Parts: sequence; structure tokens; C-alpha cells
Amino acid sequence: MDNNLRLTGTGKTFGKSLLYTFPMFLITFMFMTGGRPNFSDLASSLALITAFLLVNILYFLMHYTGKTDRYRAVLFIIFALSLSYTLIHNMLEVRRSMSFSQADVLECKIPFCHLVIPMMILPAIFTKSIIFPGSILGGFADISSMVVLWLIATVVLGRGFCSWGCFYGGWDDGFSRIRKKPAIKKIGELWKWMPFAVLLMVALTSAVALLPTYCSWICPFKAVTEFEQIVSVESATKAGIFLSLFGGLVIALPVMTKKRTQCSFLCPMGAVNTLSNKISPFSIKIDKKVCTECMKCVEVCPVYALTPEDIKAGKVSVFCSKCGKCVDSCSKHAINYGIKGIPAGTMKNFSRNLFLFVSFLFMAVFSAGSIISTFQGLLKLIF
Amino acid sequence: MDRQYFYRKKFMTDSLILGLSSGSACLATCGMVMFPYLMAGSAGVKRIALDLSLFLVTRFLVYFILATLSWYFGQALFSNHIVRNIVPGILYIVFAVLLVWFSISGNRNRDCPAKIVKTVNNHKLVPVLLGIVNSLGFCPALFIILTKGATQGTILQSYLSFLAFFIGSSIWFIPLPLAGKIRKKEVLKNIGILATGLAGIIFMIKGLTNLIGGIING
Repeated sequence: MDNNLRLTGTGKTFGKSLLYTFPMFLITFMFMTGGRPNFSDLASSLALITAFLLVNILYFLMHYTGKTDRYRAVLFIIFALSLSYTLIHNMLEVRRSMSFSQADVLECKIPFCHLVIPMMILPAIFTKSIIFPGSILGGFADISSMVVLWLIATVVLGRGFCSWGCFYGGWDDGFSRIRKKPAIKKIGELWKWMPFAVLLMVALTSAVALLPTYCSWICPFKAVTEFEQIVSVESATKAGIFLSLFGGLVIALPVMTKKRTQCSFLCPMGAVNTLSNKISPFSIKIDKKVCTECMKCVEVCPVYALTPEDIKAGKVSVFCSKCGKCVDSCSKHAINYGIKGIPAGTMKNFSRNLFLFVSFLFMAVFSAGSIISTFQGLLKLIF
Repeated sequence: MDRQYFYRKKFMTDSLILGLSSGSACLATCGMVMFPYLMAGSAGVKRIALDLSLFLVTRFLVYFILATLSWYFGQALFSNHIVRNIVPGILYIVFAVLLVWFSISGNRNRDCPAKIVKTVNNHKLVPVLLGIVNSLGFCPALFIILTKGATQGTILQSYLSFLAFFIGSSIWFIPLPLAGKIRKKEVLKNIGILATGLAGIIFMIKGLTNLIGGIING
């Protein structure tokens, strides 16, 4: 088919990129406005228009320039920041504090996040109960909608969820882009398996304790969302752990290594999504006929998914989060988005367009609410 | 669902974590020594499963005895209120540091206590001996669970702690009959080693929390 075509901006016209953006334009418009735009309030209208334009311009630029990661990262980072802003704002409004009390736990008022899912499975099978103190249906960040969204995304995108759907990933992705060159270049291969060790520990301990142990003791993102009220040595220790892990794995190490260290070395959801990479129809493929083994892609991969051995074998490992950084970095266009069953080097544009449409649409729709709320909040602060 | 129930669940979780780490560490340390004996050449899955059951039953009995002994010793040793509040915290920290060191040390394979079975000729005794040697191996995880058993309020709590420890450590041995069919043994070993290190960190934190809590409460 269109083997020799590649969207580099020079070969494609402005009009063709606009044409690719048109379906995204329509769908995001429907999702953001609910089909009935309401421009009665100036701040809300401005926030809506800004978010809508941001999403669609980024998608257009992906097609026009042929660069994926550069524009994905912009929305991904804004998504993470805005989600934290929205959560904190919501909690400060409702509870006047970022901490939650035992009463909030008993009344199931804790917002749910996808990181709890691996811990819920075993207790749900054995006890037919949900171990997280959140609302199952309705309310802010309810359990059922989050589980369904994650399930769809992880089956379709595999570990691509970590780069296109996770509302925390943008934090360490953002920090990993601060330095031009990494201060720490080599980290042992062994550490790549840490998310699996964490997953094993938290899944089993949650099943025995019937408590989400990862959320209670480990999650670094408690530092930017909500955490247990400090009333004892134990809760103070927990707060210390959250802050240390956030400082170490989300800020310091990503800055030093230029890698997403929290996603690579801690997140148990990353381990689950790594396994789901096996069933996802999308993957990254290496065209051995074109590859010069310059290892630029190995150097830039933010999740340690590529090794020189992988490149020599012409295979990308299951750790790949499909962020597109390696695709952007390859001057020979030897590494590309692909679809399982289709040989590497064929239907490259079709595969990329299809993947971008699905993954970007998911991120745009998933992030729209919090981005609009954040813009609205900022506009109200300014004016 | 009373308060006691939640408390029981909590301390069983700690022990399970420790068991998981201990089992993985055992496998990382003794895997190469134990595999040939437990799998007895071309004995087949059924025979291996039988030997494995004997091995696990022996471990269970040893832990049952240790739970009883540790609790009685604990009652005698930690009778003083201050000692009871502070010493377990210090012991947890010391053993947890050893556990982390054990997981990152490159010399794991040198120290397997199960080497002793190389001197036994009777194959039927091997799983039982391996069970005893494996349960009593001087690993930091065993010292932690002994400390825990010794500091429990009732003997039932001590039994439950050891039971969770036994379950956690036994999970790693269940795939043994199928060991020949497992392709990615290195991956499992890596995950086990990391889980050991994680458990060490968890108990270090637990030790620190206990110690600070003990000092505050006098």
C-alpha cells in the first residue's frame, strides 16, 4: 500500500492533515460540549474553547509534522497537572483539606483511581466485595466508570495506557524532560522487574488484609492528590513514604536519568499493562532492512523498553508504552507504529494513523473534563 | 467485623509479606540445590508433587513448633513493658537490614543450608529433611517472624502469624513440579529477589514505626 509514504510534514499537505483532524474535531466537540454548547458564562466558555483548541491543534500537529511524542507529551503533562489540580480543588471545596478522615473512609467518599484495580481483583473474586472506600456508581471518580474505562483502554492500547491514558504518568514524564542530558545513564536490568514484585506484594497483601495496601502505604501520588489525616506515628510514616517516593521516583530520578522512573520501577499498574501488551493489537515494530543499529531509540526510550539486544533481534520488549519517542528519534524511519499480524515496514502510515486516532481520542476525552475545570479555575484566579 | 478481626488481618498481612520474601529468597538461595532432589531426575509430575507435599507438610509442622516455642520464649523475655515496646522494633530494623542486604548480595547461592541433603542416600527422607533444613535455615526472615511470634498477645495470634508466613513462603514452591516447563526462570528469580528487598524495606519501616511508637508511649 502506502509503504513509502511517511508523514513528515514535507510530503503531506496542510489540507490532508486537516482532513485527518476533522473526525477528532467532531468527536471532541461532542464530548466536551455534550452536543449542546453553553456559552452563557464567559470563564466556562473561554476554558472550553481553549481546551478544545489545544486538543485539536496538538492532534493536527502530530499529523502535520509527523512527530508523535512531542505533542502527546504536551497533553499528557497538562492532563496530569490538571487532574491533580481538579482533585485538590474538589477536596478543598468539599472537605477544606487534602487529607481524608476515617469518617470519609466509612462514608466511601475517597476518589477512585486505576492504580487500585490490581488490588481489587483477588478480594472481589473471593469475597465478592470491593475493598476500596469509594462510590461504585455516580459521584466524583466512581469505581465502575474508572474500571470500564481502564479495561477498554488496556485491552486496546496495552501498556500504551501508561503513555496515553494514565493521569499520573505526565508527572514523571514532565520531570524527565527537564535536563538535556542524563546525569545517570546506566541502571541495572534487574530493576525493570520491580513493578512485578510490587504487584505481587500488593495483590496478595490486599487480598489478605482486604485493604488497598498500595494506596495505604506506597502510592507516591498521594503527595499530589489526597492522603490520610496525620493522627498517629503510622499515618505520619505513611505521609513520609508518599513524599519520599514522590520526591525520589517522580522528581529526582526522572530529572537525573531522563526516564520515567516511577512508571518503570514502581507502578504495579504498569506491570499489569505490560502483560496486556501481549493482547493489544498495536505495537512498535522495527524494520530490520532499514535499521542501522545506531541505538538512538535505546537511548531515548523513557521506560527501558529497548535494549541493544532487542534492536539486534528486531523486536521491542513488552515494557513498551508506545509513547512514540523512539519513532520520533529515528532518522531512518526504521521504527514505527504497527499492527499485529502486519509485517514491519508495511502499512506504516495506516498503522500510525489508526493508533493515533484511538489513543489520542482516549486521552482527549478522558482529560477534557479536568483540563476545562483547570482552565476555568485559572481564569477565575486571573480575573 | 469487630476490631479484633481487622487487627488479625493486619498482622497476618505482615507475615504474608515476610513469607513471600522468605520463600523467594529460599528459592533464589537454594533453588539449584533443591531442584535436583525434589524433582528426582525423571520422576514425573505426580511423584514430584507428592515429594513437594511432604516437603511442605514438614515445613508446616516445623513452623507450628516454632510458633509455640517463640510465643512461650516471648512471654518470658518480653515481660517488661519497656522491653516489649522497644526491643521488637530494634530487632525488626536489624533483621530487615539483613534481609535487604541478603537480597542485594551477589553471594546468595553460596549459603544454602539444604546442601546437607547431599549426604543422605535414602530418597524418601529427602523431602522431609529438606523441609526441616529449609524452615530452620538462618535467614533474616525467620528471625523476623520469630520476633513477631514472640511479641504476640496470645498463642493463637502467634500461630496465625506463622500460618500466614508459611502460606507466603510456600507459594514459591508450588510451581516446582512444573519447573521443567517454566521457560522464564530467570524472570521469576529476579522478581523473587526484588520482593525480598521490598519485604525488608517494609519491615524496616514497621520496625521504625514500632520503635518510635514504643519510645513515645514509654
